[in-house]
Amino acid sequence: MSADIRGAWRRLALLAMLGTVTALSACATSPYKRAGNPGEIASALARSRPAPAGARSLVFLVLGGAGGARIAAYDLAASRLVWTQPGEVTTRIAVGADVLVHGSAPVGPGAGGAVIVARDIGNGAVLWQKPLAADERLAGYDIDASAVYLVVQKVGASKRETSGSVIALEPRAGKERWRHVLPTGRVAGPAVRGGLVAVPVDSQYVILLDGATGGELAQAMSTAEAATFVRGLPEGMFFGSRGVFLLSPATARGSRQAPGYLLAQLPPFVRPFYWYDLYRPEQQQYSAIDRNHILWRVAVEGDRARFRDDTVVVHDYRFLFGFDATSGALRWAYSHPSDAVASTDTGSVIAFVSADGDVAALDRVTGARRYQARLPGEVVRAATFDAEGFSPTLAGAETGAGAAPDVVATLGAIVADPDRRFPDLKLFAIEEIGRQPGREATGKLLDILGERGLTPLAVQKTSEALAARRDTQSADLLAAALRMHADYAEGRTAPPVDFLAKAVGALGPSGRSVTPELVAQLRLPETPTPAAAQIARAMIATGAEEGLPALRDFLTMYRADPAHDADPSALIAAAEALIKLGGAAERRLLLFVAEEPHTVAALRVHLVRALGETDPGAPAAKTAATRAASATSTTTSTSN
Amino acid sequence: MLVNRVGLAIATALALSAGAASAAEPTPAADTKPAAQAKPAKASKAAKAKTAAADGDKRALASARVDGLRAALFGEDDAAAVAAARELGASGAGNAAEPLAELLAAGAAPSRAEASLDALAKLGGGGVLTAPRAFEVLDLYAGHRAPELRQRAIKALGTIKDPRVVPTLMARLGDAAPGVRAAAGEALAARKESAAKPRLFALIKRGDMSAASPMAALATPDMIPQIAELAGSVDDGVLATTLGEYAQRDDVPDRLRVDVVRTLSGMGGAAATTALVEYIASVPSKDDRPSKREAQKLLDTREAAK
Repeated sequence: MSADIRGAWRRLALLAMLGTVTALSACATSPYKRAGNPGEIASALARSRPAPAGARSLVFLVLGGAGGARIAAYDLAASRLVWTQPGEVTTRIAVGADVLVHGSAPVGPGAGGAVIVARDIGNGAVLWQKPLAADERLAGYDIDASAVYLVVQKVGASKRETSGSVIALEPRAGKERWRHVLPTGRVAGPAVRGGLVAVPVDSQYVILLDGATGGELAQAMSTAEAATFVRGLPEGMFFGSRGVFLLSPATARGSRQAPGYLLAQLPPFVRPFYWYDLYRPEQQQYSAIDRNHILWRVAVEGDRARFRDDTVVVHDYRFLFGFDATSGALRWAYSHPSDAVASTDTGSVIAFVSADGDVAALDRVTGARRYQARLPGEVVRAATFDAEGFSPTLAGAETGAGAAPDVVATLGAIVADPDRRFPDLKLFAIEEIGRQPGREATGKLLDILGERGLTPLAVQKTSEALAARRDTQSADLLAAALRMHADYAEGRTAPPVDFLAKAVGALGPSGRSVTPELVAQLRLPETPTPAAAQIARAMIATGAEEGLPALRDFLTMYRADPAHDADPSALIAAAEALIKLGGAAERRLLLFVAEEPHTVAALRVHLVRALGETDPGAPAAKTAATRAASATSTTTSTSN
Repeated sequence: MLVNRVGLAIATALALSAGAASAAEPTPAADTKPAAQAKPAKASKAAKAKTAAADGDKRALASARVDGLRAALFGEDDAAAVAAARELGASGAGNAAEPLAELLAAGAAPSRAEASLDALAKLGGGGVLTAPRAFEVLDLYAGHRAPELRQRAIKALGTIKDPRVVPTLMARLGDAAPGVRAAAGEALAARKESAAKPRLFALIKRGDMSAASPMAALATPDMIPQIAELAGSVDDGVLATTLGEYAQRDDVPDRLRVDVVRTLSGMGGAAATTALVEYIASVPSKDDRPSKREAQKLLDTREAAK
């Protein structure tokens, strides 16, 4: 299906959906007649009282390896493991005030749905377990100091008979406090913030409940895009899918034009994933999504929202990038030796845990390392952070604090990395190096061009980046790269002469100092024909008249070589260079080449035209060109 | 019309000879001895070459004949051009090189270029290749993209008794084409160019058979242990050829030959046996030198072991 057709289908689907939304909300019997009411949203938000960030900085680890399946708590501030307990974790850990919950596999044959497990944060001991019935499906859960909130779907024989409920349980005892039946069976996981529970339903609505009673307070409606997630943060409640809406009276109807709508400008390699799709049960589990997503925090002023510090961070497996959210410009880049299995934005640092037990934190604005610890010998499968506000400031070896990573060096390391999982990321890194100022970036691009094993597309991108930067201060680097040549005895391969020559040509007259190296390459037998053509073009661009003898030699030596019959581009480029850079002697030579019957036919044809076009109006020369043209056609037919 | 064209070609080639001349500039990688270090031992050879050149001058072709052959070289008949090149090469005449160099400078189809390069090599072998233009053109063609043309140009260049050819020969030791490397190695060995030893050794280390004979010709006794140490990491054939041919040299002390023969025997394999057999065969039957006896004894032992 083409992109156009897909786009048309999407538009139709959206129109149909919006039609349904409007019809439902307008209908007197609709369960969504409150949807999009700014006043109700405002009063619901006013009841929300988020607790101030605690002094806790924990990360809960899902461990595997030789020690078996375990769950552990690690204190970031103290850099120590607090507790470890055996246990399987099937769905993501959610952390409350003194209790954490996670999913676990059903026990025993014939067991029904998922099991919710609550543990004491202090020691990891199991407080209670709640198995779901066989006909119940867990849509999701969240927790705060007051309750554990489950959204459960009771699966009926048909869609109409399927229902959804929110169940609030006492955190330490697991007893049911209240149950709220939702108006639909199409329900998603909840989010809670300061006693306000948000539940996405029917793709477009977010129902807001009072966490204390389960009473419905308001309904938000997303008219511009689906609402597949809700997320509670200290700075506000958010919902969205392709972008992020700050829940406020201004976004009660989910308009992208509202000042509370956020969408970062990001390069194409980034998967625009702001938060889990809470309608998809598989996304409750730890998965590749935890290793490849966008980390964001928001600065809120009334209804207005912007990404904090105008920065969003992209976590892409082993790599972390800080981007300017408005311009998409790269601010910093960090490469880790192994996959980071989980990451979070604490508001101050980007904290992450790697699969082999590294725990680290980077400054969210500069990328400088502000924290590092290690869990030796552990295999970390996943993790959840409970470290809001964690902001390590101590410098020194004990915390692994360091300077901001060198962007060019980091990007270069990404390109050179033998890990082949990230072709798009490597292309991005090449383009970004090209955008960085200075000789270091030019040198890095030259290093990349000299590497083996690059994909053709990566080579092309590097070449384009090198030419596009027109770094006149680095002509000597190009000359040095061109001084290299293939040597079988020394096991050296030829540099990418065509790309280097193109980069020299892009410098214009500033590249003329590289002429001796271009000449030497033109004379080398291993310089490929396309590279020879590129050298000739570079000589034209730089005005390299001192290259004329080499161009003459090249043209005469190969003018009658049938190897150039199929592709005379190098000969034509050399001839063009002789016309543009040379004088009367070169024109005489070209006239001879155009007339001589053994000259490659395509070159003769080109020369006849080119000499005629470039002759400064001398009738004699025009006659010669005409004569040459006539000779060309005669000898071509003879040869044929 | 044809005469006019030939005239134009020659005039152009002459007018633009500066282009070919610039090809004689040493390549950056070339690493060789300065011309001033030419070996005094070459004095007698140089004298012979001078004599040959003088003979060549005496054997100069008549100018009308040269013009006729030049016309054939530049004419439209490929077969006639190739025949003309061969005739010029076979003439041994001092003025035979000029038309060949003109053709190459003006550019020619591969068959003509090959014939012209072969002819120049033949003239060089006769010691009459002294025209500066010949050096310039051959140096240019030593960088031709067709390996068969490079190989021929290198062979011809090797016959020129001028130290200016050494950088090009040294550079072509690193050529991607084995034939070109072999031609360069042979030319350097023939000139006893000791500066070539490190690059030849590098080629031996890479198991390049084209370097075996030149290395054998140029190796000094101190290099033999280094070469022998490559056993096991380099193709036996390359080492056996190098050591076998080294042992056959007249200037090698027999005590060292014994060591070389023992090293060959220790290598095992058909290549080493062949090298031992060839060494024994190279020694005159009346010469009962210890290395020959040792080689025979080791061969007998190998036979018995079989």
